[in-house]
Amino acid sequence: MNEFLERKVRLTWGEQKPTYDVVIIGGGGHGLSTAYHLATRHGITNVAVLERKYIGGGNSGRNTTVIRSNYGVPESIRFYQRSVELYQRLEEETDRWIMHKQKGILWTVHTEAGLRQERARSFINQANGVNTEFLTPEEITEIAPEIDLNVGGGKYPVLGASYQAAASTARHDRVNWALAEGAMRHGVDVLQRTEVIDLIRDGDRVVGVRTNHGDISAPVVVSAVGGHVTRIMDMAGLRIPIRTHPLQAFVTNHYERKFDPIASSLDLGFYVSQTARGEMLAGAHIDQQPSYSYRSGHHFLSSIAHNIQMFLPFMRDLRILRQWTGICDMSPDYTPIMGRTPVDGLLITTGWGTWGFKAIPAGGEAMAELIATGRTPELIAPFSLDRFRNDRTLADRSSSGTH
Amino acid sequence: MSQMFDFAGTDVAFIDGDSVLTALVRAGIYPAGGGALCCEGDCPHCVATIDGISYVRTCQTAPHENLKVQPHPIDDYPPLPPDRGYGAPPIEYRQCDVVVIGQGESGREASDRATTSGRMVESFDANRGEEVIGIYDGPMVIARTPERIIHVDCEEIVVATGAAELQPACPGNDLVGIVTGRAALRLVAQGVGLGVTVAVGKPPNDLDCEVVEGTLVRFEGVDGRLAAVVTRTESGEERTPCDTAVLNLGIYPRDGLARMGNGLAVSVVGDAGRDATVPPCPSEGVICPCNNVDVDDLQAVWDRGFHEIELVKRATLAGTGTCQGMACMPYLRSFLADRGAALQPPFTARPVARQLTIGEMSAGEYDRPVPRTPLHGEHLALGATMDRIGGWWRPWTYGELGAEYEAVRERVSIGDVSTLGKMIVSGPDAESFLEYIYPTNISTIESGRSRYVLMLNERGYVFDDGLVSREADGTFSLTFTSGGASHAEMWMRDWGSKYDVRMLNQSMSLAAINVTGPLAKELLAKAGVVDPPPYMGHADVQVAGVPCKVFRLSFTGELSFELHHAIDRSVELWRSLLDLGGEFGIYPHGLEALQLLRLEKGHILVGIDTDFDSTPRRIQHEWACKIDKPTDFLGRPSVVRTNEIPLDRLLVGFRTERPTVDGALLYSNGEYCGYVTSAGWSPTLGHGISMAWLYHGSDGQLPGDVEIDGTTATRVPMPFYDPEGVKARA
Repeated sequence: MNEFLERKVRLTWGEQKPTYDVVIIGGGGHGLSTAYHLATRHGITNVAVLERKYIGGGNSGRNTTVIRSNYGVPESIRFYQRSVELYQRLEEETDRWIMHKQKGILWTVHTEAGLRQERARSFINQANGVNTEFLTPEEITEIAPEIDLNVGGGKYPVLGASYQAAASTARHDRVNWALAEGAMRHGVDVLQRTEVIDLIRDGDRVVGVRTNHGDISAPVVVSAVGGHVTRIMDMAGLRIPIRTHPLQAFVTNHYERKFDPIASSLDLGFYVSQTARGEMLAGAHIDQQPSYSYRSGHHFLSSIAHNIQMFLPFMRDLRILRQWTGICDMSPDYTPIMGRTPVDGLLITTGWGTWGFKAIPAGGEAMAELIATGRTPELIAPFSLDRFRNDRTLADRSSSGTH
Repeated sequence: MSQMFDFAGTDVAFIDGDSVLTALVRAGIYPAGGGALCCEGDCPHCVATIDGISYVRTCQTAPHENLKVQPHPIDDYPPLPPDRGYGAPPIEYRQCDVVVIGQGESGREASDRATTSGRMVESFDANRGEEVIGIYDGPMVIARTPERIIHVDCEEIVVATGAAELQPACPGNDLVGIVTGRAALRLVAQGVGLGVTVAVGKPPNDLDCEVVEGTLVRFEGVDGRLAAVVTRTESGEERTPCDTAVLNLGIYPRDGLARMGNGLAVSVVGDAGRDATVPPCPSEGVICPCNNVDVDDLQAVWDRGFHEIELVKRATLAGTGTCQGMACMPYLRSFLADRGAALQPPFTARPVARQLTIGEMSAGEYDRPVPRTPLHGEHLALGATMDRIGGWWRPWTYGELGAEYEAVRERVSIGDVSTLGKMIVSGPDAESFLEYIYPTNISTIESGRSRYVLMLNERGYVFDDGLVSREADGTFSLTFTSGGASHAEMWMRDWGSKYDVRMLNQSMSLAAINVTGPLAKELLAKAGVVDPPPYMGHADVQVAGVPCKVFRLSFTGELSFELHHAIDRSVELWRSLLDLGGEFGIYPHGLEALQLLRLEKGHILVGIDTDFDSTPRRIQHEWACKIDKPTDFLGRPSVVRTNEIPLDRLLVGFRTERPTVDGALLYSNGEYCGYVTSAGWSPTLGHGISMAWLYHGSDGQLPGDVEIDGTTATRVPMPFYDPEGVKARA
């Protein structure tokens, strides 16, 4: 008996039609969530989701599955908190086991500057309805006695941590599938192995897409692409402020399930949690060199191994099972870009950097509302592309989990 | 006398040539329960915990006295290991022309060929205890041995890993007593008795066994042990009782490393490169022994729309266990092909090909170096608490914050500012280059004078600040913030490539000590400086016998001299100043005191008080951004454009009657309107002072007074202390 076998989701694949009301490029979490919310909230079902490979095969299936809302600016805190709440009921709503589990996230600090930053985070979170606390080292030990507070023999002492108890994880694949199934049930066509070759334009408008299986016309085209969004925008003659960087992660073999929280040290450059299957899962900062490459690197693994075993000494003797790489669309202010573009008929949801998975429910919900009503929901209005032109960026690097 | 190792409290004897597994099987012990043993590291059926490390293949482990082997728990995953402190094996770095992975027949041939053609060859073979864990960009090969990690940079990699024998996929394949042909030979060679032995498929030469007819249907057992093999022949099912079944179901290339190396200079020889013909589709039984996935499970997800091999992998978890798909991949592919999804390529091969511990992976690693100033030892000797700030180890406090502050404000103090970025810019275009880099006037800086400067990026946002000084010889010396110096240098060199300028980074060659306080001039006089430079001036002078470039400026708000000097004279100068200052009541100050002192003066700390998108206007530094200066400068178009956009927030000062902290929130009539970037309690003023981002309200107006921590905070102009700058100019 394999307790983690996917036993319920039923995927019903569509076939490409020449016309849809909405075409969504990208069958990852955000594309599927947008389709799901269009179908379930707005009754818009003549929708196609186009996926170049297989659904959830990009970063939606490569991330480290952390769900949290401990951001640094009110606009983001509110948005991610909406997503945390939607995740809490996604299992019930879809009647599918997404392995959602509340774990709490610790962001430990090892310098005075870090301490001030995380204490400040607790203030702004609490003022915006997110109960992030600032913990003393003793309180950290109560939550995670495995952490060596005297990291590196006292070189990097743990001075405190911000802690969001409501933070959780869910199985990324299952989230993608539950949303895909929900959309499919209402008649949405999810088309795998369907690659967008070009956008079809009529004057200044985008009116459809050209795929490897033929043309599709649609009054609304949404780019929910991860990794290659700049290339899709190129097709519309748009330049957007995104750079794509690899981010690497690894899991160990399976061990007794005992380590409860998500523990993170941005200073030492990693975050780690234990999956439902008992693997210790760890991720790091993005690679500094922009790239579309999925190739894994050795230096990432050795440097993170060194830091992790100083922080969580029991991990020294755990065996590494597998490493992999995702690619992250980094926006200049470490905040997503959602909504209209200067090209009519073309909407965008991107800039999901290292924080896209946690935003899947709220991101799809908001994009669907924008498509259905023609009005940008207040929750995502601050994330519009024109904020860069309008000097209204939302700088929040310290909340991204990378630098 | 035979040698022994320990298995769960029992002594197990071993002989020459044994692996841990062969010794265990001789003693009738199957460490991971049943399943078809391969003895070649391909399957997961022999893993155990060895000396505290779980998931170790006992077939790949040589036994020795004192070795402790524990089986994994039956109903749970292995326990988390105890804390053994930090540990990493040695790493060995090698370089060669060709790495050959695998030293079977084709591997040896490849090695010989390369050697004969004069190329330097390194080879690895799992049978010699060398497990290659990955092929990386470079190309580079990482291998582990029980003693060390080996890192090889090479030109070319030859994968000669051979082929694995297929695992059986049928009911009963988890029984004890099933072995592959090669495993049977290995066991027999070690003198392990196999009992009544039957073979399915052609057995290895020289193996004494009966060959059963037909195709394999299932294994039947009693109490977990194999009792019979059932095959199907033309005349129906045939049951053959036995103790051991030896399987030859075909082979499947060990192509994981080859696929991992796709796109790199990797070639494949021998069986590893053979066509990966898949076996017939199984109808029953476990196909993924690591995660216990059977054919019914595959069917269940297939029926519900999971047809892509990657989706089937993720939905069943087949292929994500210890053997990383070595056992299940052939069956996964044949299943999907049978159901009509065409023959799909294998799923991605990722490092690590063989597992190693996090401790082993740390081999060759070290703490990222954090630079120290030449005065590091002096700070420690004075009892300072050190902190990492802006990428350096710096003294946070010497334990007496009050005394540090008081020395600066009332007498004299010294602080280590060696971490400042320092650069000389010279050449015919030096001035025009700096005019372009900085948003302030450079041409009007006279020789021997200095000016405060912001650095703006193309978006018109502040990313650093510092000082520009013109030397008598027409060169310029610049300073940058400690944390921003390396970025600033890259910035300068990048933009400077179009100019005829030379840049010399002096950040690491010059140290700097700030002498600050009302008695600073007296202290310098005692150190032999009779004619110190005027405010915002600089001069080359000897201080206590040490050649210094002395800059007179003020970050603390008091009369201050920054003494830049060669690092090898720094300790001497520091000690002299402390000595000579004794009569003035000198006391050094650390960063905590400095942050309070500069806050009283309203001096910003870039990165703490500013953010990614701070324009000169937002931080009230328009005086340092000469938008009308005659030459163009970096960021000007953006500054001009954003100046037209209504302001949304301003960096301002507040007075509070109670202490507050960085990050405290601002409220106006109950509405959030900003946050404190720096906070402190001013001993001199007797009240709290804060620098804060204040947001405009929905009416477009800046709130006046606000609430911080539930009490009224009064907006006051900065500087809080000595607004006319009398002290600094004294």
